[in-house]
Amino acid sequence: MGVAPIEISDLVKDYGRFRAVDHVSFRMAPGEVLGLLGPNGAGKTTIISTMVTLEKPTEGTVKIFGLDVTQEPERTKMLTGYVPQELIHHGFFSVEEIMEFHSGYFGRLKNRDRIDWLLQRLGLWDHRKKKVKQLSGGMKRRLLIAKALVHEPKLLLLDEPTAGVDIELRESLWKFVEELRAGGMSILLTTHYIEEAENLCDRIGILQKGRLLLMGPTRELVKDLTEREIVVRMRDELPKNIASPFLLKHDRVEAVFRVPSAMGVGELLAEVGINLDAVNDLTVREGSLEEAMRRVLNQRRPSA
Amino acid sequence: MSAVNYEKEVEAIRTAIRFNRWAAFYSLYRREMKRFFKVIFQTIFTPFINSTLYLLIFGVSLGASIRLDSGLSYLSFLIPGLVMMGVLNNAFQNTSSSVTSGKFSGDLEDLKVVPLNSTMIIWALSVAGLTRGLIVGLITYTVVEVFLYVTEGAFLPVAHPFWLLYFLVVGGLAFSKLGIAIAFWAKSFEHVSGVGSFVLLPLIYLGGVFFSTRGLHPFWQKVSEFNPVLYFINGVRYGMLGISDVNVLTAAWISFGALAVLYVLGLYALKYGSYSRW
Ligand SMILES: Nc1ncnc2c1ncn2[C@@H]1O[C@H](COP(=O)(O)OP(=O)(O)O)[C@@H](O)[C@H]1O
Ligand SMILES: [Mg+2]
Repeated sequence: MGVAPIEISDLVKDYGRFRAVDHVSFRMAPGEVLGLLGPNGAGKTTIISTMVTLEKPTEGTVKIFGLDVTQEPERTKMLTGYVPQELIHHGFFSVEEIMEFHSGYFGRLKNRDRIDWLLQRLGLWDHRKKKVKQLSGGMKRRLLIAKALVHEPKLLLLDEPTAGVDIELRESLWKFVEELRAGGMSILLTTHYIEEAENLCDRIGILQKGRLLLMGPTRELVKDLTEREIVVRMRDELPKNIASPFLLKHDRVEAVFRVPSAMGVGELLAEVGINLDAVNDLTVREGSLEEAMRRVLNQRRPSA
Repeated sequence: MSAVNYEKEVEAIRTAIRFNRWAAFYSLYRREMKRFFKVIFQTIFTPFINSTLYLLIFGVSLGASIRLDSGLSYLSFLIPGLVMMGVLNNAFQNTSSSVTSGKFSGDLEDLKVVPLNSTMIIWALSVAGLTRGLIVGLITYTVVEVFLYVTEGAFLPVAHPFWLLYFLVVGGLAFSKLGIAIAFWAKSFEHVSGVGSFVLLPLIYLGGVFFSTRGLHPFWQKVSEFNPVLYFINGVRYGMLGISDVNVLTAAWISFGALAVLYVLGLYALKYGSYSRW
């Protein structure tokens, strides 16, 4: 098992009278990619901010590898790489200078090899002499990631790493995340691209209005929370008296069912009394995480 | 995992972390110096022009008619004040512009997520501010010495090098820390430049750069005793010329006290001030 890279207990963050994070608790398993999903303003950035001491918890504790971030910030920062949501410009300096300073802040003055490797790996090598303000948005984003990794952290926090990033770069970042994970890094990311969470994350947590609605393995969440749509097209006609709680709509030859993800096609056909030999065509559309999320968010919306 | 094993593992993680504080401190200092050297031309050129102007206006055209009690020329009297003005202004400039431009671009937050603590940040920034102040002070000093040699035919020797250094360093550090405190509190560039021109500049001018407070009405003498800059400037004047409006030990203590107060203010600003972007 090992010590949890992140362990958050009963975290509350108030901005004045506004509660941005409301009693959130979770722990991360070593080496996993954990995704935090939720609409804008759900509190994702605020939670990450408490991990890097940008915000102080109002209540509760945040531990990085067992160390409390408010009590041993120097150590927890050494273990953590942080990629902020907003781009940073760095008025005066070149890419290379920024990397050297940032490495130095972690006490590493001679870190050329690591810096060069990161710049190459993230496609910034040819731009290393450029001033940061001359970089495109995508390059700035990659520089933020390079900075976050310069001191070889064991935990990486990515706050919306692919927001406003083109598809090509997004896919290359996903590959990079996979690579980091394969190297044993634990990664927490926030996103509102559901596809991203589905592709990358071992587990996901869904946040709304500062509350963690649920957290679990991505596949299981999809399975538990989504429904699959099954379209049955008959050779001739549907049975006249067809009736089922799963039936969505039908005409003479075609019926559309919506069933829980766990339910098989055979099971459904048996239940509604259709013989497979009489079926001309069958289509199954699997539910997506997006649907799962919509359902969770809608269900838990406080009843008006 | 049992509780005992958990504690053991956490302890192993804790002790495996190696953080070289001096390297981190040095990196931040180096960044500040590099920032300054990128604008070196303005930084050096401006004090050069300023001090030449002051010398021409006050030292030569006005000063020719003024003789001081001590027998010094007005031009020599002016030198320590001009040097200290350069040091104080530039120390303040360097730290306040570092923090405000960091707020503007967003990279101030970087300092909060790296393992540098407030004490290290405040010292790295203020030692860099002091360095810039001293460089500008030295340039000003060179300019006025040359000027003096041309107009009066002799260089001015330094009377008390130790006191000179003491007041330059304490004053430079104090204004560096003031720059940090004000920039952290500020919500815009205007706040900082406003404090600079409506508070600091008057304090510096009224602190006796151009005149001795002994010539003032007793009431204004009393008032100016509350201006800490008076002690910085008179301290430097004592260091260079051996004369001062105030007792040098008093000036030394008050200057040190001002530094201590500004240090606490700066630290407070770093701990509780805003790092977030404008
Ligand atoms: N510094 C702040 N002061 C006041 N409110 C804030 C501050 N930062 C964030 N908030 C509020 O807290 C809520 C959560 O914000 P955030 O964590 O950024 O959400 P997310 O990252 O999920 O979009 C939002 O309603 C936001 O307006
Ligand atoms: Mg956010």
